[in-house]
Amino acid sequence: MAATAGPAQPWSAEELRSEALPKKDIIKFLQEHAAQAVRSLYMCVSRRGESLSATHRLVLQFLAEHKLLGQVKNVAKTANKEQLIAAYTQLFHTQRFKGTDGAEKAAEKAKPTKVEEAKGKAAKPEEAVEEGPPKYTKSILKKGDKTNFPKKGDTVHCWYTGKLQDGTVFDTNIQTSSKKKKAAKPLSFKVGVGKVIRGWDEALLTMSKGEKAQLEIEPEWAYGKKGQPEGKIPPNAKLFFEVELVDIE
Amino acid sequence: MPEEQNQTIMAVDELQAIIQRCQILEEADFKGEDFNLFQVAGQKCLEDGYAAQLLEVIQNEKNKLIIKNMGWNLICPLVRCILMYKQEDDKREHCLKILHQLAQLCNPKELFLGLLEQIEQTSAEQVCQTVMLLLQPLQTVLLKLQNKKAYSVGLSLAMIMNQLTPLPVPYTKQQIQEDKLGLCQCCNAVVDFAKPFVNEVVKNMEKSSEYNDMELKEELLKFCMKSLKYPLLTAQLEQFEGIEEHPFRHFAIEIINILWDIRELIPLVFLHRKGKSPHWENQEFADIERKNSTDSLACLSYLMFVQHFGIDCFPMVFSPSYLLQCNMTHIEVLLKRTEESLLSKGLDLFESCLLRMEDNSLLHQYLEFRDFINVPQDLVKVMTLCPIEHLRKKSLNILQLFIDKFDAEGKYTLFRCLLKTSNHAGVEGYIIKNIKDQIHLSLTKACDNVWFTGHHLISLLDLVLLLPEGAETDLLQNSDRIMASLNLLRYLVIKDSESDNQTGVWTTLAKIEQNFLKPLHVGLNMSKAHYEAEIKNKKENRREAHSSNTICSVTVSGEKMPAMTTEMQLQVLHSALFTFDLIESVLARVEELIEVKIKAVMDENS
Repeated sequence: MAATAGPAQPWSAEELRSEALPKKDIIKFLQEHAAQAVRSLYMCVSRRGESLSATHRLVLQFLAEHKLLGQVKNVAKTANKEQLIAAYTQLFHTQRFKGTDGAEKAAEKAKPTKVEEAKGKAAKPEEAVEEGPPKYTKSILKKGDKTNFPKKGDTVHCWYTGKLQDGTVFDTNIQTSSKKKKAAKPLSFKVGVGKVIRGWDEALLTMSKGEKAQLEIEPEWAYGKKGQPEGKIPPNAKLFFEVELVDIE
Repeated sequence: MPEEQNQTIMAVDELQAIIQRCQILEEADFKGEDFNLFQVAGQKCLEDGYAAQLLEVIQNEKNKLIIKNMGWNLICPLVRCILMYKQEDDKREHCLKILHQLAQLCNPKELFLGLLEQIEQTSAEQVCQTVMLLLQPLQTVLLKLQNKKAYSVGLSLAMIMNQLTPLPVPYTKQQIQEDKLGLCQCCNAVVDFAKPFVNEVVKNMEKSSEYNDMELKEELLKFCMKSLKYPLLTAQLEQFEGIEEHPFRHFAIEIINILWDIRELIPLVFLHRKGKSPHWENQEFADIERKNSTDSLACLSYLMFVQHFGIDCFPMVFSPSYLLQCNMTHIEVLLKRTEESLLSKGLDLFESCLLRMEDNSLLHQYLEFRDFINVPQDLVKVMTLCPIEHLRKKSLNILQLFIDKFDAEGKYTLFRCLLKTSNHAGVEGYIIKNIKDQIHLSLTKACDNVWFTGHHLISLLDLVLLLPEGAETDLLQNSDRIMASLNLLRYLVIKDSESDNQTGVWTTLAKIEQNFLKPLHVGLNMSKAHYEAEIKNKKENRREAHSSNTICSVTVSGEKMPAMTTEMQLQVLHSALFTFDLIESVLARVEELIEVKIKAVMDENS
């Protein structure tokens, strides 16, 4: 009986019964392709609500029914050929194939790749917290009073212009004659507490009142891998700021 | 024929009569009676179709004074007629001209009241048409009020928005294109109406800050806040295929532009609920104002950070973590609601903030903020209770995103919190799987992760490797969680050799057996026995099963579910047994593995 959905039967009835086909192969196939049971049959059971591992459970149910759970070699010890053939036949008879229900399939698919991604990123996490060399440089354009330096938690007020490597201005709060007139007020925020990109937090603590400086900030201390697409900052962008610290509170 | 002619001539005659009488009077001598007669005559002309003649009268220079004082009384019949006449009708043209003239000639204060009254009295079906009709004269009249206009502008906008608020907001593409009640068109007409007032505020801000201008600015701000709540919070703001000019997106952009022009946009984005409002001394009023503004502010953040309206006005120096922190209040507000339009905006806002961040970059200290603990719990409520499937799925994805962004200690704390508070086996199972993934990362990395190994992990495992109600735990209800726990234990036993014991599982084995494995055995035996007995019962009583003394029935979506046949009931019971078998087989496997490992160690040592 040919299956109307899912993978084709790899073995014919004769092939199944022949000695040449080891039990292990059949078990492997069954474990890989055991299907999701038809939803309606198990809807009654799932009344407790959407279950995230429903697919997983139902796959295992089929395998459990036929005592196919566990390592292949162990299963091979306990199951005889007849039982395996019966399970194989029933698989195609009830057409319980993996992946016939799209939604569950998508959920299942999502899980392994996430773990892969996490493994890939495993190298990075501690770096953010570790102290390393500063990822910015500062060159002073205009000296400040060299006496008033902001402390962590102080509110600072600054004028700034931000540019990308290619010179594009992505942001500024300085009044220009452009169409969008900005408010004639410097930007105020609490410095040193993580409200701004790290490059700014670190740099401003080294500036004195009245100082104007050119900052070059590496992406790690700016917007990193993600960038800020709607803010015109691409991923891994080095940022160039001209900042003038006008007041400290 | 002649009689009719007499009738109609009478209307015009009456009008002429009162006009002539008043022409010779001084303005101060106009009496109430004169006003009445004028109104009645004017109304009759309109109703009888003699708008042209009325227009002539009004356009006549000699009647200027009369019209100035008495004209506003004609608004009501005038609007009625305009709405009644067809587009092509000449009479409608005349009426529109009369309206225009009245706006020029009448006392602005009185005409203003007349117009507003008209808007207030219109029915829901006609309100949009009426408003759109009267916006032009209203604007003319308000501009005439010069420096005293702020209060009246505010009143107009408030009145109009009040009248629009009861109307349903078109949501689907079809509804928007149809715009049955005219709301989409009307909203955009209202922002156009407001433009000259915005320009005035801008001009005055550039000169100096006068008290007068603050008032007008305040009124415009109130209008924007109101618009953010209605219709924008409810509206579907995603770009539709096939609609080039999405009316609500256009409206949203205009509102943002106004806020930017009056210099309130960025301050509003950073406004925190907790801030004390300086306007009210009475705490109750302050609370009401705060409550009303939370919805508007949440909508504003959505517009800026999800739809990117006005984002180029936003300073590009803030850290992604800080932006998330700022938005958590708004996300919480939206996630606590049940309407699809609000929930989906909350989820979108949350997602967009998280996507800006790199994994493992969110410091655990952020969990000290109350909303960082509340929001994931709200997410859990959405994913388990919301009737809308795509929102449930989305909230689950976002929870995973949220988890991924935290550093190790943050993940640890969050897992503990959710295990304790979610009260849902599926969610618990999901968290337990996350824990397993973190342990895996810790064991395979070169550097130690103190949070998912050693004594921290043991403390966490105490929450995971147990049966909530001991042997009496409902195994079916908790099967997701139990399977996840068993899988975790199996992983630990396989992966962490006894000699290493990085995870500490070998040290706590006795406790695990006592709190988890032994009660699980007992529970399984009890449950299986119980269900097997039920099955036996059902099979024996199969013949008597068709009696229809149902104790209760189940209704889904208005349809009563058919009573389960014995066959169906048996299937369910068998399914339960399968689940128990499943749990048991994994349990057996785990115990087998433990035994093998312990035996190996004992052999080594002997």
